[in-house]
Amino acid sequence: MLLLGLRGRAALNSALRSPARLVFAAAFLGLTGWGIFELASAGTRLVDDFPAIDTIADAVLQRSLEGLFLILMAGVAFTSITGSITTLYGSNDLPFLLAQPVAAWRVFGLKLTETYITTAFLPAFLTVPVLLGIGAARDASLAYLPIALAAVLALYAIPVAAGSLFALVLMRIAPAGRVKEVATALSVLLAAGLVLGLRLLRPEQLVALSAEEFEQLLGGFAALQLGWLPSTWAASGVWAALEGRIGPMTMLLMVAALLLLALTAWLAATAYQAGWVRSLDTARLRLDPTPRGAAWWERLLSGRTGALIAKDTRLLLRDPGQWSQLLVLAALAGVYLVGVGSIDVPLRQFQDVLGALNLVFIGFMLAGVGMRLAFPLVSLEGEGYWILQTAPVTSSQVVRAKFLHALPPLLLLGGGLGLAIALLVDMSPALAFVAPVAGICSAIATTALGVGLGAAHPRFSASNPNEIPLSAGGLAYMALAFGHAVLQMLLLVIPSQRSLLGRAGSYWSTPEGMLVLGVMLVTTVVISLAALAYGSSRLARFEQGTP
Amino acid sequence: MIEVEGLVKRYGRVSAVDGVTFTVEPGELLALLGPNGAGKSTTIRAITGLLRPTAGTVRVAGHDVLAASVAAKASLGYVPDRPYLYGKLTPRELLRFIARLHGVQDAAGRISHWLELFSLTDFGNELIEVLSHGMRQKLAFTAALLHEPQVLVVDEPMVGLDPRAARQVRQLLREYAAKGRTVLLTTHSLEVAEEVAHRVIVLDRGRILAQGDLASLRERAGVADAGLEEVFIRLLEQQEA
Repeated sequence: MLLLGLRGRAALNSALRSPARLVFAAAFLGLTGWGIFELASAGTRLVDDFPAIDTIADAVLQRSLEGLFLILMAGVAFTSITGSITTLYGSNDLPFLLAQPVAAWRVFGLKLTETYITTAFLPAFLTVPVLLGIGAARDASLAYLPIALAAVLALYAIPVAAGSLFALVLMRIAPAGRVKEVATALSVLLAAGLVLGLRLLRPEQLVALSAEEFEQLLGGFAALQLGWLPSTWAASGVWAALEGRIGPMTMLLMVAALLLLALTAWLAATAYQAGWVRSLDTARLRLDPTPRGAAWWERLLSGRTGALIAKDTRLLLRDPGQWSQLLVLAALAGVYLVGVGSIDVPLRQFQDVLGALNLVFIGFMLAGVGMRLAFPLVSLEGEGYWILQTAPVTSSQVVRAKFLHALPPLLLLGGGLGLAIALLVDMSPALAFVAPVAGICSAIATTALGVGLGAAHPRFSASNPNEIPLSAGGLAYMALAFGHAVLQMLLLVIPSQRSLLGRAGSYWSTPEGMLVLGVMLVTTVVISLAALAYGSSRLARFEQGTP
Repeated sequence: MIEVEGLVKRYGRVSAVDGVTFTVEPGELLALLGPNGAGKSTTIRAITGLLRPTAGTVRVAGHDVLAASVAAKASLGYVPDRPYLYGKLTPRELLRFIARLHGVQDAAGRISHWLELFSLTDFGNELIEVLSHGMRQKLAFTAALLHEPQVLVVDEPMVGLDPRAARQVRQLLREYAAKGRTVLLTTHSLEVAEEVAHRVIVLDRGRILAQGDLASLRERAGVADAGLEEVFIRLLEQQEA
């Protein structure tokens, strides 16, 4: 408890040092929580009031809650594999703590708690308003929330312990010095596989079902029993809590969680002391004195900007935190294309409208991708930013290099998806022409906005790349990137309307078509240049070591 | 040459540096001394362009660090006290990157020379993240000297170095100044300052407490034949009295 108290005090001190960020985070989390609460309570009432299923409403809601728990549990398990390697074995304070007169299993208990907080906080945060929403819709008693919360907190402890145990095994079998890379690749591939698998089930088929078929499906869904899964125990525990009692499943969950956590802490301590975690150690040094020159691709990148791009490319390919984002990108593109490919639209005019809508959606998707790929780029310089600050490069050169470094994957995604949409949806030649153009415009604007606003609001001391966008700059980026996508949508309304009326034949050679295209290109260029200039000017004023 | 004129840096109401003025001539090696919080690091950061002064000017090799920052930084080599380098690059890759930023000709030959000098040749193709603190410090020296800057600024040069490397660095600093280059260092090791510096500036609470060679500082402190450590402590005591 003493160790935990110390860690809590450190976190509080750190939060109080930047009250503005604290207020921003609280407001953001509060608004999101309120939205989820409203959604959950409305959803519960909707199912309760749905006339055809009143007898199985409880079972439908319970199965839905199980599904939510299962997805969030899987998320916690994947993140805890990489998270536990960092907190359980890579923490800077581990040697200090182990040198204190405290039992090793207690130290690792603390580290496991840290892993739990860092990996399960977000899923737990997303779950609380859901529980509140269900409770509000069902007029639950006061005892409901603490019991349901206990069940949910115990639920997320299980994947944390499982993920940590898996990480421990990886420590033993992964090649020396490569455990983080292996863990990251496995986590990303498993998560991508899961999402792709869910997408291949083609949930959009549900809308094509008749009322009888839908009822039949719900009946089957309600009868689905996966009693061996902790997510089922938790949902059952929540339902018992609605009646104001601690159900046997809640007890089972809590006992299982405590046992698993204790076992993991003990095993981690034993393994650490036995030097079992050899994969954390550095790979054997090769000590090769051969003077290796620049690679062929590096020589193609000339000047200071080229040097910066070459450096960033090497870091991208060697840092699991960065290259794993490319895997996510590929998985996202795959899921999206599977989804679009499964939509069957018979009429050409509607194909064009659907394609145009998808182009707008690509803009939104690119905004999300840019948040992970472009926005953190300047901040990823981290504590090494002094190298650039004391080198003869301007902040504009740095920002430009980051932009050019981030652009190819986003350009490939935007342009590629635009082209794929045109082919998959079988758009008319007029709209098929603008599809890749719109994708490319979105990619350019998104990358520039991400890099520019990321440079204007750098967080060089962020311990985790995911923390970097959690700022006013991140919010401004999302708002502007979405704004650009909406602008594209407004511009695409005109050719889509012409297509609906069957008059889109040679649209892009008409004055109106050229104007629409011109506005699309000019706004993209203006937004991009303004974002990069703003980022450069703010970055130039950044001061190292300011208290 | 380094010219610092009326340098002020305030953080809110607190003055980290308050009206510091000094010059370091070509061929001179100046040591900046002072207790913790004296303003040494702030002064160094202002000279290297890591922070913007509240008032005053800093010129490096005749170039204003703010107005002509690229020219000033092209003339500057900097070794920080904590050498955070890109862990996922190898020393050779890092040095090649630095060489390209500075437009160094014959980079490969110079890189090999400096790696050899600091006994890092065998580690040239390993990732920096596997190097010891001392090796990283030597690599930071190599990166700072690769383009043979007119001005070298070193923050705590001996931290993490083994005795052999420490002696090598002391010798290197002396030789570098002897070539007509300007060297500024901060150190807590008064022995190092006494051994290598031509002149010393003692900072305290953001102001210059004393400056000059050892003989003039002894005179100011009123202690004949004392070492720099004794002089330093006496000066601080006089200030506090």
